[in-house]
Amino acid sequence: MAMPAPRVIFHLDMDAFYASVEQRDHPEWRGRPVIVGSPPDRRGVVCAASYEARKFGVRSAMPSVTAGRLCPDGVFVRPRMDVYRDESKEIMRIVAGFAGELVQQVSVDEAYLEVTDRLPRAAEDTVAAHDAMLASAVPMAEEIKAAIRKERGLTATIGIAPNKLLAKIASSNFKPDGLTLVLESEKVRFLRPLPVGALHGVGKVTEQALHKAGIYSVADMQDFEGDLRPYVGSWAEDLRKMAFGDDDRPLDLGDDIKCISSENTFLKDTAHRPTLRQCLREQADEIAGRLQKRRLAARTVQVKVRYSDFTTLTRQISVEEPLADSAMIYRLSCWLLARHELVKRPLRLLGVGVSGMVDVVTWDTQLVLPLEFPRPPGTAPA
Amino acid sequence: MKFTISKEAFLDAIQQVQHVVSTRTTLAILSNVLLRVRDGSLELTTTDLDVGVSGSVSADVEDAGATTLPARRLATIVRELPAAEVEVSVDEKNVASIRSGPSFFKVNGLSSEEFPPLPKFDGAREFKIDQAVLRDCLRKTSYAISTDETRYVLNGILFSFKNNALTMVATDGRRLAMVEQEIEFPQSHETDFIVPTKAVNELSRLLGDSGTVAIRVTGSQVGFDLEGSFLVSKLIEGNYPNYRQVIPGEAKERIALERETLLRAVSRVSLLASEKSNSVKLQFSPGQVEIVASSPEIGEAREALAINYKGPAITIAFNPEFLMAPLRNLTADEVHLHLIDEISPGVLRTGSNFLYVLMPMRVNS
Repeated sequence: MAMPAPRVIFHLDMDAFYASVEQRDHPEWRGRPVIVGSPPDRRGVVCAASYEARKFGVRSAMPSVTAGRLCPDGVFVRPRMDVYRDESKEIMRIVAGFAGELVQQVSVDEAYLEVTDRLPRAAEDTVAAHDAMLASAVPMAEEIKAAIRKERGLTATIGIAPNKLLAKIASSNFKPDGLTLVLESEKVRFLRPLPVGALHGVGKVTEQALHKAGIYSVADMQDFEGDLRPYVGSWAEDLRKMAFGDDDRPLDLGDDIKCISSENTFLKDTAHRPTLRQCLREQADEIAGRLQKRRLAARTVQVKVRYSDFTTLTRQISVEEPLADSAMIYRLSCWLLARHELVKRPLRLLGVGVSGMVDVVTWDTQLVLPLEFPRPPGTAPA
Repeated sequence: MKFTISKEAFLDAIQQVQHVVSTRTTLAILSNVLLRVRDGSLELTTTDLDVGVSGSVSADVEDAGATTLPARRLATIVRELPAAEVEVSVDEKNVASIRSGPSFFKVNGLSSEEFPPLPKFDGAREFKIDQAVLRDCLRKTSYAISTDETRYVLNGILFSFKNNALTMVATDGRRLAMVEQEIEFPQSHETDFIVPTKAVNELSRLLGDSGTVAIRVTGSQVGFDLEGSFLVSKLIEGNYPNYRQVIPGEAKERIALERETLLRAVSRVSLLASEKSNSVKLQFSPGQVEIVASSPEIGEAREALAINYKGPAITIAFNPEFLMAPLRNLTADEVHLHLIDEISPGVLRTGSNFLYVLMPMRVNS
């Protein structure tokens, strides 16, 4: 069996980025729980929390009111997006000094680096040679971390691994100020204790389907001897590969993203409204997350449905003001389904996509009133 | 059926009802106006099944009866008639003969029995209000109605009768206009309903400077009886969002501004707002506000107004259209702008009964 060419990937993740920038710029806040976001007496959410604040249970995306209750002595700070964006540029400049062009910036505080070609080539195509190559990358990762600390006064965590999947898991599980190396020979064992949700793309729906098969951890999946297809459909093969730490996704270096979409094939065709709403909500969340990471907004929302007989329909709506938030994507998707009466039959597949991308940086954003819309009469809570 | 009427009165009456007639209807009868004559008057009715309007005008009735005729065609014919008097007679096949001076028109109509009856309001709750007052309230709110059909509950004006006041609200999610008017009604009549945009527009057209309007409402319909004309409309189903919670409580800065002066300045400066940054900045500093718009590809505009402001410097950006809309529709000489900070809603107030909540724009460039 031909082995794929050995690679060395770094996943670099800044530690509590917004909060750390604030603590760096305000020495009096160091060692104190800093919460970046809306003040606790206003409607709004937490954008980021320092590690001191996380000890109180404060998390990003939590309502500020809740954060205020959990951490009454927290230092609440309004976000300074311009500052973080500029900081991000500086960090990426440092990173590019080591990895050159091969940097995939995923968000303001996160990037993949492919450093394979900057290391001495493995002498032979063996696992041991790949391990040696991975190990030889550690000094470079240490240098990157040191450069960021020295030049920017911030700490970063880096995961070193044979692919993106493992590099990301390595960095997110050993923070802050971490440096984790996952060897090719260790990757299967490294993944075993993790919950299946740690694998790329495994969300709540897939997780629940896997639970039905008795699969909770990656170990369960590695040891599962039956066919996964009845539980996760066509995704079974990729999922199995991931469970064994295999992932050949290249770095995504393209700058032009034309559309972002998310779709789900149901285990059983369904017209059950709460299930569909839940699915749309998760897809909208996922798309909004990806838009926000890339600082993009979209002008068009599209839904896609496929029925039992494989008839596939798409419907779309364009809006005047580019949108990026999950609630709006969800609302318009629901509206499209209702408007075009797409759920008269059970669905095999449901998907949401956005296109007509606009860089939010170049657009002034009209802020919206925080109106809460009551559920229309006769609809059940999802 | 046969009647004679002055051309002018006939034309006025047709024009009052013809806006409701939809140009794209699949039901032929909905393109027609129902004409009914009896007891010295001609009653005209149109409907698109969502909104219906009827009005009456005195006529010299020879034979009572009813028919329906194509509304727009009838309007164009009557407008062009050469003499001051018109005589209309309709045979049993609903063919109308229209005579005026030397001209003669024969127009094919449809039976009045095919015309959908307007809903009845037996047992409805009734509220009375001055026509001029209601017209003023509509004018102060209707520009803020949302045209986003995916949020249909916002495609109209909320009428809320509570605590001996009528509160009217319109919002498109970015700004919200609200007006409150004290009126008397029994507590058992308290209710909320949403009147759709089309009915709002028709109502604004029909309301006069004097007289009262009786508002009658059932579970799904509202009727406005305007002494001589009558408007009915389906209500928008669904619940209006809780608008009270988006009205900011505290305001750090309350700034008095001359309405007309501000409107003109914003209007001028906004000429240089670009598509990408459709915003104007209001830069407040002690004694003045400077209104600024700029776009790298076009240029820049500034205008400073002397105002009585003693607070700290604050800059806030708004969509100029959203800022100008209430200024255009108010009559007071002075408005008050209440500000908290650059990302919190600004509130425009006049007197004690009008407020306009406007979300600012976050300027990225």
